[in-house]
Amino acid sequence: MSVAVTQPVRPPAPVAPLSDAGRRYARRKALRPYLILAPALLISIGILIPFVRAIIDSFTSLDLRGTAPAWIGFDNFVDTFTDDRFWHSVTITAWYALFATGTEMLLGIVIALLLNEENWVSKAFRTVFIFPLMIAPVIGALIWKLMTNPSVGILRYPLGWIGLGEFRWSADPQWALFTVVLIDVWIYTPFVIILVLAGLRSLPKSPYEAALIDGGSASFVFWNLTLPMLKPVLFIALVFRLMTSLQEFGIIYAMTEGGPGDRTLNLAIGAYNKVFQDYDLAGSIPQLLFLWACIYAICFFLIGLWRKAQKASSGVA
Amino acid sequence: MTQSISLARLLGYVSKNVLLAIYVLFALFPLIWMVVLSLKPDSEMFNTTFIFHPTFENFRVVLTRADFLGALQNNLIICVCAVLLSMVVGVPAAYALARFQFKGREDIAFTFLSFRFAPEILVIIPLFLIYQKLGLLDSYLGLVWVYQLISLPLLIWILRGFFEDISPDIEAAAQLDGYTWWQVFFKISLPLVRPGLVAASLLCFIFCWNSFTFTLLLGGSHTQTSTVAMNKFLASDTVHFGWAAAAALISALPEVILALLIQKHLVRGLSFGAVKG
Amino acid sequence: MKKCSPGLHRVAVAFSAAILATALAAPARAQQKSFDWKQASGKKITIAFNQHPYADAIIQRLPQFKELTGIDVQYEITPEEQYFDKVTTNLSSASGNPDVFMTGIYQLWDYASAKRMEPLDKYLNDPAMTNPDYNSGDIFKGVFEGAKWDLKPSSAAGSGSLYALPLGFEMNVLVYNKKYFDAHGLKPPTTLSETVELAKKLKGWNGPGSYGIAVRGSRNWATIHPGYMSVFSNAGAKDFKVEGGKLMSALNDPLAISVTKQFAEMIKDGGPPGWSNYTWYQCGADTGAGKAAMMMDADSLAYFTATGDAPEAKNLAVAPLPAFKEGDKQGANEWVWEIAMNSSSKSKEAAWLFIQYFTGPEHVKWAAANAKLIDPPRQSAWEDATFKQKVAGVPGFVETFQKQIPNTSVKFTPQPYFIKSTTDWAATLQKIVLSGEDPNTAMKDLAKRIDRDTTKLKLD
Repeated sequence: MSVAVTQPVRPPAPVAPLSDAGRRYARRKALRPYLILAPALLISIGILIPFVRAIIDSFTSLDLRGTAPAWIGFDNFVDTFTDDRFWHSVTITAWYALFATGTEMLLGIVIALLLNEENWVSKAFRTVFIFPLMIAPVIGALIWKLMTNPSVGILRYPLGWIGLGEFRWSADPQWALFTVVLIDVWIYTPFVIILVLAGLRSLPKSPYEAALIDGGSASFVFWNLTLPMLKPVLFIALVFRLMTSLQEFGIIYAMTEGGPGDRTLNLAIGAYNKVFQDYDLAGSIPQLLFLWACIYAICFFLIGLWRKAQKASSGVA
Repeated sequence: MTQSISLARLLGYVSKNVLLAIYVLFALFPLIWMVVLSLKPDSEMFNTTFIFHPTFENFRVVLTRADFLGALQNNLIICVCAVLLSMVVGVPAAYALARFQFKGREDIAFTFLSFRFAPEILVIIPLFLIYQKLGLLDSYLGLVWVYQLISLPLLIWILRGFFEDISPDIEAAAQLDGYTWWQVFFKISLPLVRPGLVAASLLCFIFCWNSFTFTLLLGGSHTQTSTVAMNKFLASDTVHFGWAAAAALISALPEVILALLIQKHLVRGLSFGAVKG
Repeated sequence: MKKCSPGLHRVAVAFSAAILATALAAPARAQQKSFDWKQASGKKITIAFNQHPYADAIIQRLPQFKELTGIDVQYEITPEEQYFDKVTTNLSSASGNPDVFMTGIYQLWDYASAKRMEPLDKYLNDPAMTNPDYNSGDIFKGVFEGAKWDLKPSSAAGSGSLYALPLGFEMNVLVYNKKYFDAHGLKPPTTLSETVELAKKLKGWNGPGSYGIAVRGSRNWATIHPGYMSVFSNAGAKDFKVEGGKLMSALNDPLAISVTKQFAEMIKDGGPPGWSNYTWYQCGADTGAGKAAMMMDADSLAYFTATGDAPEAKNLAVAPLPAFKEGDKQGANEWVWEIAMNSSSKSKEAAWLFIQYFTGPEHVKWAAANAKLIDPPRQSAWEDATFKQKVAGVPGFVETFQKQIPNTSVKFTPQPYFIKSTTDWAATLQKIVLSGEDPNTAMKDLAKRIDRDTTKLKLD
């Protein structure tokens, strides 16, 4: 079977010289994809203006204190990249994204496979698994904050039974990052599940029937049929989870505001504080551009990888 | 199917369901707890667990504040419009990116994705100033537009994958039968990607619905959404977790209804799978 | 650093006078006719409110305001956690929206130095603009003058232009579970070292998860200003000093370090186990639920908790904050909720009428008696019998107020990096308490970081 389409659907161009009408028709068809894409592009292109604006501002001393901004060249960049706290935030950002995305992908695939089965547990849970995603992250974090409160939270009972009554969750510097990642996993695993489930639901049946006749084992079917066919959807889930967890703000801000100390202070929180506590608007931009560049590079790399794999697989097929 | 179930299979069955049950507990317990909190009076908030005197007082407080229902309505208008707009411009775009070969195809696809690369805080202050000049602050249009940043890349990239999964043979056959490309698109391809479309639009709706920073700073008294407004119930004189939980549950209701409504479309995709590949 | 509110000791006098003067007749109203409340009739103004009982009291009375003035009021209420971010963004655009906004006294230093706030003196002193009944002398002087500043870092508040008028203020106090204390022969502690000892001892006093003393701990400037700053300044420690014409952090001072060390010890051994997530409402909730035996926070929170539905509410009482050591003066840091005018407002007359009406004697008195306004900023409101009866229900509330008010003022040095430096201060406190960092080095590093900003400030 072919996973990807690299062939145009258009019929081959006619060999005979074209009439004027024919040329117009051909041009119209060549323009067709651009015309279809134009509305979507036009709508989203507006966003480039603030982005470009932010880049320009990063070379100024623009702040929210009402002082007249001056050109200061690369000062903001130098200040940012020579600050230890910036590199600390880079580490926190990376660990957070890695742990959160990794857990969500793994858990999402496993749970989606289980949910795809036709027994009553799966059927019942299929209607409700997405609910955590529907709670706004700010409120989701709040509920977890309340549940994990070591004095009044409900989780102190089960933890007490296993002798962890003193566990302090995000108020413990050692476990703060774990706790915020846990909330991220709680909220966003359903995102991976729904994508994988939709992918599983639209898989073709014939290869499975063939595999069944050949007597392929369940694990053989999974690794050689399901997983390769799910690749596009897994890839989308991975890219979206990675880029949003690298930018995560709401969960951490609602839970710890970057604390205790600086233990959960990722780049997004650091930049937010720079804007709204330091009023240093321009000073916040370099670290955000750094974050943007990292996400750009990672996604560029991942998509390149994916395209290559796809070409290879369609070449085989 | 063999008639006797082997021990290994039984074990597999049990462990699978135990795993699922643990995840179900993890996923649903906080929500159940939220429901419990929303029914607790302040006097029993912290000194009781599951046994208490339930009350609907928290819901009454939330619902009798006129501004919360207004905020719910704002969120509904903005998010429905945002997702519809994304669908109108995004579905054809996803199709074009999947089906047609043209110069710059991958670059354009990547450009759409890249709208999600910029952290919200990077663009929000410049965006605020631009909106102010255009008069878009505190307007439905302004928020519907900025939500395209959230929903459009997601919709296009999810759907592109689904469109690519459709064998071109099916479309080619339809074209041989005399269908134009847009007839092929509407009559053949679109129904085939329905599970993907349903999943993608639901996700877009949820992410728009729960968006916080954009609506906090670009919205205002006319457009404050329930996602922002429910935070007002948490604390004023003393903390009211019951109010906040009730507000959060009411605010999640439209999402839940939407998810349940389209649930069967998500499942129905199965039968279409047969014609592919 | 000079004392910020030199006039606040007069509040005590005023307060005592108020107690005696309940029977005094209301001021004459003969001049009221000459003031034209309708002068901005037909204008529209926008107000930015924080989610707060003081805002609720205003919103309840908007119909009366509209009837009196003919001014249309639109408003937006923002959740507390995000309120100042929203105001900062709106003000920085200089678009005139909102016309009037709620602000805290510390934020005033940031917004006033950024020229976002309209000086109010010219309106207040204009007989055509201000009702003679307004009587700004009725506002406690220390609270009134706290909103005056000449924009010079390090110079005392109370000099320069008036930037805002108060809706209500908060004094920080000690709250304790009187029922438990009485039953066990305990007395509220009077010094910090006593508090540390007692808080340690009270761990588990009311079952699992209960602890000695609730104080705020989130990574936020709001952690510093209640109990910690009060004890800190009562001990004689300062946040800033002027050296060589420059504003330098004084947090590396030995006294500052030893207060911090002891306060951190109190949190570590007797504070909430989830301390680093705690803001005011967790403190109040824990105290009301019988998880915390004591709490250091605002007296308004003490009042709301003690009159709320929580199981221990009826058992709570208020006492003065502990001193750092025996013989230190009693007092507290204060917080004031104010309303101010956007300097780019396009309807300044209407905006002023709004500020005037809702900080005026009539509304303040009404709100103190009928709404959730605790610590009204006007003497006349304290004279009101309904209000007196209201606060008398919380044991120790009035006595503590009287004891602390002579030395209650804004203890921070006005400077435009307040939010930044104080948030860093809170993060440092978290590191000392939770990561076991040495208070000595941590505070010295903190002072260095603060100096980097404040030494840039011009003091003359």
